[in-house]
Amino acid sequence: MNVALKYCGSCNPQIELSDIGHKIEEALQEAPDIEVVPRSSKAIDVMVILCGCPRACGDKKRIRKRASHCIVVAGESVDLVPVAEKDLLSQVIQKVKSLSTAKS
Amino acid sequence: MGMIRGDDYRESLRRVKPEVYYMGEKIDSVTDHPAFIPHINSAALTYDMAWAPEFEELLTTKSHLTGEKINLFTHVHHSTDDLIQKVKALRALGQQTGSCFARCVGHDALNAIYSVTFDMDKKNGTDYHKRFVDFLKEIQKEDRFISGAMTDPKGDRSLSPSQQADPDQYVHVVEKKKDGIVIRGAKAHITGSVNALGHMVMPTASMKETDADYAVCCYVPVDAPGLIHIFGRQTNDDRKCSGCLMDQGNPEYGIVGGEALLVFEDVFVPWEQVFMCGEYDFAFELVERFATAHRQNYGGCKVGLADVLTGATYALAEVQGTATASHVRDKLVEMVHLAETLYCCSIACSCQGYALPAGNFMADPLLANITKLNVTRNVYEMSRLAQDIAGGLLATMPSEFDWGDTKIGKYVDKYSKGATDVPAETRMRLLRLIEGMTCGTALVESMHGAGSPQAQRIMIMRRSNWERKKRLAQKLAKIGEQPKLV
Repeated sequence: MNVALKYCGSCNPQIELSDIGHKIEEALQEAPDIEVVPRSSKAIDVMVILCGCPRACGDKKRIRKRASHCIVVAGESVDLVPVAEKDLLSQVIQKVKSLSTAKS
Repeated sequence: MGMIRGDDYRESLRRVKPEVYYMGEKIDSVTDHPAFIPHINSAALTYDMAWAPEFEELLTTKSHLTGEKINLFTHVHHSTDDLIQKVKALRALGQQTGSCFARCVGHDALNAIYSVTFDMDKKNGTDYHKRFVDFLKEIQKEDRFISGAMTDPKGDRSLSPSQQADPDQYVHVVEKKKDGIVIRGAKAHITGSVNALGHMVMPTASMKETDADYAVCCYVPVDAPGLIHIFGRQTNDDRKCSGCLMDQGNPEYGIVGGEALLVFEDVFVPWEQVFMCGEYDFAFELVERFATAHRQNYGGCKVGLADVLTGATYALAEVQGTATASHVRDKLVEMVHLAETLYCCSIACSCQGYALPAGNFMADPLLANITKLNVTRNVYEMSRLAQDIAGGLLATMPSEFDWGDTKIGKYVDKYSKGATDVPAETRMRLLRLIEGMTCGTALVESMHGAGSPQAQRIMIMRRSNWERKKRLAQKLAKIGEQPKLV
């Protein structure tokens, strides 16, 4: 399964967005059956949209339509559900893996 | 091409040979001189951050001319979302540099000239707009860093350009040729001008028919014959050239943008690079549109800087053991309040932006001027609070050379310590960063950059609907009506 990461732009993130993004990327690279692909790639199964605050500027139609599924981190939340900053990594990885399992 | 990287920009600077003077010396290589390196680093970040996944969404966009991906700083805004994006990008850059990155001035000039050339052509049947669009395509293709050169020395402020005893106090056309024009005069305080690749010269004030020779807008490459750059001094600038690192405070990106006096001693400009020549009745429109775009910026970049300053002040309070004191917490909260007030202003004037006849968007002029007028106050107040929390050592701390001295260094270290578990060096570095951000040049830039406070007040006076405000009051006070009892 192909996963890409897309950042909102990081104007004033309320979480350590860049750090979390890098950790997500590292964790996904180690996961079996998952390949981290560039955000410009045409075959993206899951787009992880990383936004620094609840405004979620990265959550745009033009970005969503490039992948079958999207997971949106927006400050301390994942897909609108509150998640503490320390748990964002595990939540995202868990979501990606469940989509991967469903696909296989 | 459309987008280059920071090192490409540095290489492009090496290829030009501008005439630059600093401290009585002619500078051989701007790119390699310690006085300019921080400013070059800061501008280079506007290129590199555009390639970073974390910042790409803010610092890149699509050209409305070619459809290609371009750096934000060569873009002409076509929506309120574009205007908001600029403010957010400036905040992000301010957070990363803690300084000025200088590219916004030329960017704002591009936006203002794009619309004014359209309006001039519509009225006069000239072809400035097409000429400018061709030029803009070139700028976008090369991702070229240009400065915006608006402010003239002005001489006697009570006189118009054409009334000055010395006609060179305002840049003016001294000769019109078949293939171009010759200009003379000077532009003062031009940010980023020694590390840009060219200057967009614009008129600085509204003009009358007698000032027609002064209504000139054109592009001049930095190495044009007859163009001289005289770099201005900044507070503590000798620290950049004396082997200091810690004492510079922000050695990588410096303090503000690096301003210079530009002298145009009969500089030839080909017609392809002339975008106004004698259209005195459009000078004010150009000034107002440029000023609006530039004043809109200040609640973006300055707020990014304020994020750094507040962080430094908070960290210093922790090191000094005062972070939990109620008055310190209150002052830190006040710093955030002041900063976010400015951000609110910039976001608001962007949201209230509107389309111009050329199709591009400008921020709301009244709200943009309010933004900048607040900057002239709030940045000073934030700096005062930071200095209050920092303490007197901010102004009396021994140099890094004494701290590193084999004999007396141990005393500087011992008596510069705060909390026992934090090295003295940490406290010293934070103090130097705060010193650079709040003492001297950085403050004056907040006052006069993008125009002095009175310039904002004049715009506010012009843009406020006084008669309607009066009518609102008269209606409620039942003035001019027979009172009705309910």
